[in-house]
Amino acid sequence: MKHAERILAESARLAAACTACGECVKACPMPAWLPLPPAAPEATAQGMRAVLLGEEPNAEGLAFVAACTRSGECSAACPEQLDVAFMLRLATMRIRGAVGEPPRVPVKDDKGWVSRVKAFARMTMTEKEQREWT
Amino acid sequence: MDMTDAGSAEGRGADATDLTFWFGCNMTRHGEIVRLTMRLLEAVGISAEASGGPATCCGSPKEPSAAINAGMAARTVAEFNARATPQVATWCPSCHMNMQDFMAPATPTNFETLHITEVLHAKRDLLRPLLRHAVPARVLLHQHIGFDGRVPVNRMVAELLALIPGMTVLEQKPLPGHMCFGFQSIPGALEKAQRQTLDAMAAVQADTLCTIFHSCHREGVNLERNNPIQVKNWVHLLAEAAGWDHHDDYKAWRNGGVVPDAAQQAAGDAVFEKLVAPELAKAPLA
Repeated sequence: MKHAERILAESARLAAACTACGECVKACPMPAWLPLPPAAPEATAQGMRAVLLGEEPNAEGLAFVAACTRSGECSAACPEQLDVAFMLRLATMRIRGAVGEPPRVPVKDDKGWVSRVKAFARMTMTEKEQREWT
Repeated sequence: MDMTDAGSAEGRGADATDLTFWFGCNMTRHGEIVRLTMRLLEAVGISAEASGGPATCCGSPKEPSAAINAGMAARTVAEFNARATPQVATWCPSCHMNMQDFMAPATPTNFETLHITEVLHAKRDLLRPLLRHAVPARVLLHQHIGFDGRVPVNRMVAELLALIPGMTVLEQKPLPGHMCFGFQSIPGALEKAQRQTLDAMAAVQADTLCTIFHSCHREGVNLERNNPIQVKNWVHLLAEAAGWDHHDDYKAWRNGGVVPDAAQQAAGDAVFEKLVAPELAKAPLA
């Protein structure tokens, strides 16, 4: 199965099992770090679920997905024992347009990333190390 | 395979390599950490190859395109399969999670993925006698909650540091996320995290901040500019206790140190000016 197909398939599977109860949102440490007004956990979870279904998410759900820093507290809180951290990984890919949908958040494409990484290798590693390690 | 078996080439020939140390892309800033980690592995009897940089990328920097991401990921798994070391030890938590969650399910692997802290922690009895030099420091261990649920890095690094004579290891309430990289997309979050860390250090009178991951190290090293602290990685501290010479060039450069002409020329003058110098010149947030 191609990567995009797996993202879609897993998104659908997990969204179907999610009840949008909001327990994952309550457990997440990130809302306290966001410059946004507090939002209802259930509505926020519903927004995350909408992303996974390819539907238009509400603002609070989109903000929640975009703010995921992979803390992982969500999974332990899920009464359905879903891997919510994985759901959020899928959702963050979806909102950045990974499977061809229009991006829902600004996408930073660091076009100089490879050149920068290689430049640092040349600056901090010997030629032999570069040859053997990179 | 039990991770404590790392170091045994039994059944694979005397010259077989035990492990590939997959240090990831952004660790190229910290060549000395890769070098020291390889030396630690050798010291505990594990034969290892190192691999990193874009040639073995997990694909996450290209996450906005599933096709590009998958291509890079598949190429990396194929490379590690061809190496045929029974274990691949990650440094980067993003690489580790990508391997377990996306790469290995997509492309069958002939290796076990584990984290480098697991490998060294399992061999800590062999490390202990190497760490003969006292490091008299009050060290706050910079922790995140994210990856710790998958691999207990916070506990294992604390236990490795506890092997160092003369050092007091202090722990901070772990921060959200899996490493500081995640804060960058949230306005003000990285600065808030760093201020919390400095407050935690002040509260326990810590003089040294110990990073676990490269992203936290990269973002934290220039806290030395405005604060009377040192920022070191856990590998630096183990090396110091072993008496191994090393120098954190990246930290020096981020703190205003002159980049030698040779290093600048190695980067390529144009690339250095456009892509490297702006990063090195970034002002501290706290």
